[in-house]
Amino acid sequence: MVDGYTPRSLSEALSLLSSHGLTPYAGGTDLMTKGYRHEGYLFLHRIPELRHITETRSELRFGACCTFTEILESKTAPAILKEAVSRIASPSIRNLGTIGGNIANGSDKADSAFIFFVTDSSVRIASCRGERTVPIKDLYLGRNKLALERDELIVEVIMPKRWLGNYRYEKIGARKSLAISLVLFAGLMSIEDGKIAHCATSYGVDSGVIVRRSDIDEIMIGLTVEEARAAKDSYIKAYDGAISPGRGRVSAEYSKVVCMNLLADFLSSMGI
Amino acid sequence: MLIRFTLNGEDTVYEGSASDRLLDVLRNKYRLCGVKCGCGEGECGACCVILDGRLANSCLAAMGRVEGLDVVTIEGYRTTERFKVLDRAFASVAAVQCGYCTPGIVLASECLLAVNPHPTREEIRLGISGNLCRCTGYNAIVRAIEIAAWEGDGLW
Ligand SMILES: Cc1cc2nc3c(=O)[nH]c(=O)nc-3n(C[C@H](O)[C@H](O)[C@H](O)COP(=O)(O)OP(=O)(O)OC[C@H]3O[C@@H](n4cnc5c(N)ncnc54)[C@H](O)[C@@H]3O)c2cc1C
Ligand code: FES
Ligand code: FES
Repeated sequence: MVDGYTPRSLSEALSLLSSHGLTPYAGGTDLMTKGYRHEGYLFLHRIPELRHITETRSELRFGACCTFTEILESKTAPAILKEAVSRIASPSIRNLGTIGGNIANGSDKADSAFIFFVTDSSVRIASCRGERTVPIKDLYLGRNKLALERDELIVEVIMPKRWLGNYRYEKIGARKSLAISLVLFAGLMSIEDGKIAHCATSYGVDSGVIVRRSDIDEIMIGLTVEEARAAKDSYIKAYDGAISPGRGRVSAEYSKVVCMNLLADFLSSMGI
Repeated sequence: MLIRFTLNGEDTVYEGSASDRLLDVLRNKYRLCGVKCGCGEGECGACCVILDGRLANSCLAAMGRVEGLDVVTIEGYRTTERFKVLDRAFASVAAVQCGYCTPGIVLASECLLAVNPHPTREEIRLGISGNLCRCTGYNAIVRAIEIAAWEGDGLW
């Protein structure tokens, strides 16, 4: 009986996926803990087109099957991604777990997907029918629900390079290692010629999907630091209305307070 | 399905389901009982093996995931010079009590020293952070790895 496939190229994988209704298997760190199922797996670890980390003038590209360890060892991966990935689980799980699996898992606390949100990364998806590239935000429909068809594979993540320099990342967990996040916060801000050229924040708070509201962050863009100080209250208030945490490992009230404190602290650290 | 991989240096063909857990196959089919099932969900590290040179939880690996790769268990590793250094170091400071975590911790030590032959105490703690020990309280284990790094200078 054939109950698993280990294709050696992306095109072979896509045709197997479309004809056999298989479950993609990358690192297995989510799949193997979801009960022990005998089903047709499509093992992705031997597909070279899913393993790259490359760079162009304006973008970074990470193959879906890059493990967390490969991200940490790469010279190309930016500090914000490395910091987040270094806090995931433990060395042995970082050796297995991949960014593609982290995205497809659909958790609102997925640590690497979280960074892809705040950096406004896109995801390239392929099937036998063709290819599409979508902003990561558009891939999530709700808790553990992705806009991904059964015959589609995540091929790579495309991260714009421009605003990665000045960042803040906070993972609130119950312990140092093997800690699933309780609350996640990330912020990016660039000030050019005395004005805020870029401002992006994200929140991981058990609300089903990672919170990324560029419409609110726009309040700050174009302001001088002085003007931003004046706008600070209404900016924080807008997020106070936009973030509605669910009940996770911690109470919704706790998550909310932590998020608002982290946002205020982020702004202060930027002189706002 | 036929799954080809190397197990402790030997070419091996496993005939079975691609979704069988590496942990079960190692214990039940190949009788390599140094891998332990402490939790079955990636939390304890007692099931660790070295997969293509890197530490991996065998409870989180389906057999199809090891196709074409190299698997080393404590039984294979114990034939090496490096093992002997770790073995002596662990014994010298009583870093083993019940021993349940020890195979995983020894392989975690190997994977740490292979990339960082002279780790700091903090780096050692990070290196074994996925391996739980209910007996020793970790200080003796950290000390043992420090001793092994010192005594085995040049081996890693
Ligand atoms: C002990 C433990 C601790 C953990 N700690 C953390 C943590 O701190 N932070 C965190 O974010 N996660 C954590 N995780 C969860 C997990 O390790 C990550 O989500 C990991 O990134 C999953 O990747 P994987 O390659 O192992 O996924 P898999 O288990 O292989 O796959 C997960 C899902 O993604 C699908 N999939 C995989 N690759 C693709 C692809 N290329 N295209 C389409 N679908 C795909 C699979 O079909 C499956 O549905 C932890 C897990 C364990 C067991
Ligand atoms: S049995 Fe695999 S980590 Fe516990
Ligand atoms: S010696 Fe008993 S669990 Fe570590």
